[in-house]
Amino acid sequence: MASREARFHKQVLIDTTPLPDHIPKVKEIGASSAPLMSASFFIGARCRAYNDDYMQCKTEAHGTGEVDCMREGRKVTRCAASVIDDINKHCLQQFRAHWQCLEDNNQQMWNCRTAERPFNKCVFDNLKLEKVIPGTPPNVVPVHQRRKQIFADNDQSKDLVFPTTKAKTADTKATA
Amino acid sequence: MAIPFEALLPYAVIVTFFGISGAGLLHVQRIQNGGKKGRRGVDRWDSVHLVMQRDRRLTGFLRGQTDKAAAPEGFEFNNAWRVEKRFS
Repeated sequence: MASREARFHKQVLIDTTPLPDHIPKVKEIGASSAPLMSASFFIGARCRAYNDDYMQCKTEAHGTGEVDCMREGRKVTRCAASVIDDINKHCLQQFRAHWQCLEDNNQQMWNCRTAERPFNKCVFDNLKLEKVIPGTPPNVVPVHQRRKQIFADNDQSKDLVFPTTKAKTADTKATA
Repeated sequence: MAIPFEALLPYAVIVTFFGISGAGLLHVQRIQNGGKKGRRGVDRWDSVHLVMQRDRRLTGFLRGQTDKAAAPEGFEFNNAWRVEKRFS
């Protein structure tokens, strides 16, 4: 008898009514939390304009933004999905290594720098998206590029890999 | 004055059994989390309201993860509204 999940009981209501037809459809993003966390800076790098647009629309809508800003919201969803799709096409191996590390380490970025560096390099080489942490002062090395890590649950100092700089030095040596 | 080794045997037993139960609990926790380490410092936003519930809706398991770009069929219809507690 109870072969299907209840849709309405004293705690939750699951509304299965689809959106009306005059609202254009958009596929929701299928990535779960750890892949989204891993890709977040690249989503920000490509979709910043759309995200800012959506937030401005919501601010100016004074409380009815969820309805009034659906056009902007669809752009946000499509843009983020495009980033995830591109990363899956070009950097799937590094992406999976990074988000599986994040998932095994309480989703804390500082515990997964060794997996993050090859991923950042791959995304930069293939998609031209660079990880920039907003609000980093210009005279400070960003935390994901520092050569010395002070704290991590796993000791990552022994295999600190800097593929970007290493590749650069290799290139200059080859040309010189 | 040397301590006879029989005096230390109870401590050895205590340490061993605490170790066994600790390792067992760790193992149980890993089983509960799908073979991964448990989450810690998780607030209600992460666990109850949005993030991990969304993972569960996507994968069917609270600690499940997927990296697909598009959500599975019917994902937009299984979002639960939390019902207000009844006034009495």
